[in-house]
Amino acid sequence: MTTSSDTGSRAVADRLYRKRRLINGFNLLASGACAVFGLFWLVWILWTTLRHGIAAIKPSLFTQMTPPPGAEGGLANALFGSLLMNLMAILIGTVIGIAAGTYLSEFARKKPLGEVIRFVNDILLSAPSIVLGLFIYTLVVRQMGHFSALAGALALSLIVLPVVVRTTDEMLQLVPSQMREAALSLGVPQWKVTVQVLYRSALPGIVTGVLLALARISGETAPLLFTALNNQYWSTDVTQPMASVPVVMFQYAMSPYESWQSLAWAGAFVVTVFVLLLSVLSRTILIRNKVSHD
Amino acid sequence: MAASPTTAIPASVVDAGRRAGSDARADGAFRWFVAAAAFIVLCALAGTAFSMLWGGREAFATFGPGFLTSTDWDPVNHKFGALVPIYGTLVTAAIAMLIAVPVSFGIALFLTEVAPNWLRGPVSAAIELLAGIPSIIYGMWGLFVFVPIMGEYVVPWLNDHLGPLPLIGSLFSGPPLGIGMLTAGIVLAIMVIPFISSVMREVFLTVPTRLKESAYALGSTTWEVVWDIVLPYTRSGVIGGIFLGLGRALGETMAVTFVLGNTHRLAASLLEPGNSIAATIANEFAEADSDLYRSSLIAIGFVLFIVTFIVLAAAKLMLRRLSRQEGAK
Amino acid sequence: MTDAHFSVSSTGASAAAVAVHPAARPKMSARNLDFFYNGFHALKGVDFDIAEKRVTALIGPSGCGKSTLLRIFNRIYSIYPKLEAKGEVLLDGENILDPKYPLNRLRAKVGMVFQKPVPFPMSIYDNIAYAIRHYEKLPRSELDARVELALTQGALWGEVKDKLKQSALGLSGGQQQRLCIARAIALRPEVILLDEPTSALDPIATGKIEQLISELKDHYTIAIVTHNMQQAARCSDYTAFMYLGELVEFGATEMLFTKPSKKQTEDYITGRFG
Repeated sequence: MTTSSDTGSRAVADRLYRKRRLINGFNLLASGACAVFGLFWLVWILWTTLRHGIAAIKPSLFTQMTPPPGAEGGLANALFGSLLMNLMAILIGTVIGIAAGTYLSEFARKKPLGEVIRFVNDILLSAPSIVLGLFIYTLVVRQMGHFSALAGALALSLIVLPVVVRTTDEMLQLVPSQMREAALSLGVPQWKVTVQVLYRSALPGIVTGVLLALARISGETAPLLFTALNNQYWSTDVTQPMASVPVVMFQYAMSPYESWQSLAWAGAFVVTVFVLLLSVLSRTILIRNKVSHD
Repeated sequence: MAASPTTAIPASVVDAGRRAGSDARADGAFRWFVAAAAFIVLCALAGTAFSMLWGGREAFATFGPGFLTSTDWDPVNHKFGALVPIYGTLVTAAIAMLIAVPVSFGIALFLTEVAPNWLRGPVSAAIELLAGIPSIIYGMWGLFVFVPIMGEYVVPWLNDHLGPLPLIGSLFSGPPLGIGMLTAGIVLAIMVIPFISSVMREVFLTVPTRLKESAYALGSTTWEVVWDIVLPYTRSGVIGGIFLGLGRALGETMAVTFVLGNTHRLAASLLEPGNSIAATIANEFAEADSDLYRSSLIAIGFVLFIVTFIVLAAAKLMLRRLSRQEGAK
Repeated sequence: MTDAHFSVSSTGASAAAVAVHPAARPKMSARNLDFFYNGFHALKGVDFDIAEKRVTALIGPSGCGKSTLLRIFNRIYSIYPKLEAKGEVLLDGENILDPKYPLNRLRAKVGMVFQKPVPFPMSIYDNIAYAIRHYEKLPRSELDARVELALTQGALWGEVKDKLKQSALGLSGGQQQRLCIARAIALRPEVILLDEPTSALDPIATGKIEQLISELKDHYTIAIVTHNMQQAARCSDYTAFMYLGELVEFGATEMLFTKPSKKQTEDYITGRFG
């Protein structure tokens, strides 16, 4: 009697087990398929950029100005504009960002005000970039009365800022408190300890953050559309509208002219290569630093 | 030790006494400087909110609450309503999340439980690379590569197979343009997958091994461990990650601007062109020729800001709850 | 602490037996010192002296307040909020807890070395020169001499003289700790506080540090916190035993380890302690 019910329940368990195994196998396979799905788009998008981009790369790209419709030309003024505005944005964002991150880590750790600023910073980190552009538009463009490279750089610096604040805060918090104690016990004032000892210790992390921020703003288009606008000519005046690679790409890619579209792809290629290089570079710094710490 | 160090000193000590004052002042200045920088962070967000409320006041005053429910968008006759862009923003984001959430979960599962160790590093690095590609590249790829495929193959197929169905049929009938809300939603999904999957992967890694081991010891399969142990344990983190992705999808500009069509018409079909808040602003702001027009654009920007703020704040609170739960252990 | 206790001169045969001069003058003294840590009463009415040019050890079970006490002597605790010291701590008769006492004069006079060696992320040379540069403007040659002197006193010169420009992070744990001691010495302090300086080191490195301590006491006043009773017996002239925030017994090391006057002390040094 007992034995037969035992075999009966064993059969049930076996059947259940097979079903569970089947569900398991199917779902794990599906997870693999998801990974392939993700990689598939990456390869496709990179391949498209590469194919169109390489075909459009010419030396004139770096020497000639953006052309009028239908004509041939280059991206020289846009490349310069991007470089200049990115540089200014990084400069502004990094200085303020490192200082604010220092405040959070060194003066406001575990304090309510610090938590509020961290929270706000995290929101800023993921806020839509176009909205930040609108802010700078009302703050700067409206006041100056016209579009300018300076406004573009400020809009981009609002994207750099939260990235740097966060990495600085995190990296400084990783510096052991004994390092602070050791330096302070020598009688060196706190600002010197922070600048000369703590920053040095946190440097690789902060540099990584800055590089990632640079990668982020390199392709950023939306906030430039109504701050720096565009400029068909070579301009080095930061109070005037200035061309940038992403904005030119946007304008040219949406156009019906083939020469413009090809320039847009060339820009896409340059930006993508730059961004990928930055991401590889920052990864290397991070990994090398991790190894040397262990 | 030839020289006796204690006899020679006082120079440094006397010096130290003199320096104490200037050091204290420098420390005070430093503290003020970094506090001011932190204050700028606060001002940036508050300033964004206030400047848009201020910039949009004319539109809000002119159209009242009807601004949010009107489908008018007529620059010539100075009539503006935000419903079409709001609808487009919500619908494209919803499509994106519908695709991105399960796929991201799958990727995170693959990277934490399924893939052999040697594969995990490269695959997660590649997925994160996907996150690094500028959104304008997604937009161009969408316009030049993906839209023709949608127009030529996918849309006709959807028209034929899903179009005749009751209820959902109307969602899937439309002209084979390729551009439209479905296309925008798919491009957005590809964009947010790396964000969501990397958050999910990170929170999955926080599950203590002993928890998983005890489940395995009971004879659970990998899937059961993930579904019954890992997912409940990390629920708030997973939801936080999804909201983070949603915040991105709502506010994304360039990827959708290229493939959405910029049409201010409320369409029932997902295959019709439409508009989103961000795309409308990107397309029209520099050309807005009247104050009311510009104010209306800033006003819909304010709506976008409020919506993303709520979503992102919820995401942060969820993620924080998980890390607190971590810390409490 | 009684005078009788303090003036006892030992004639013991132990290797650690150091002649304790009856005339040893207190360099630093804590008077009725209380310490609060988020409201927690961590030190209770402690009276304690650090004798000039002697080694004074603080022992006791973990959490007894010995590190807390040491950290008051150069006010390093004051970098954290919600910590409060009440009472007096005198350095050559001046109260260092007085907010008007200049902090960096105190820290120039009272150096500190911590549990874990923390070399700054810069070269060996700069680690030493860093603090000197803050206090004095010296010509290069003089600075070089000061760095060499500090490293020599830190018993590290021979090992690093050929790689002064290399990162200090590349040194071994023991070398890093001697570097930290040399860094503290470089400022020519009068008092050196050592907070469990060997707890992160292996026995050989520990031996070198202990030897270094016995060399340094000719010139410096030293206070050392240690969790290792043998270490206290080996290197110190005076020992204080602390328990639950109170100073239980304080006297010549030799006395304390051979004839403790309190039951708790005896229990602790004989290992019968919970």
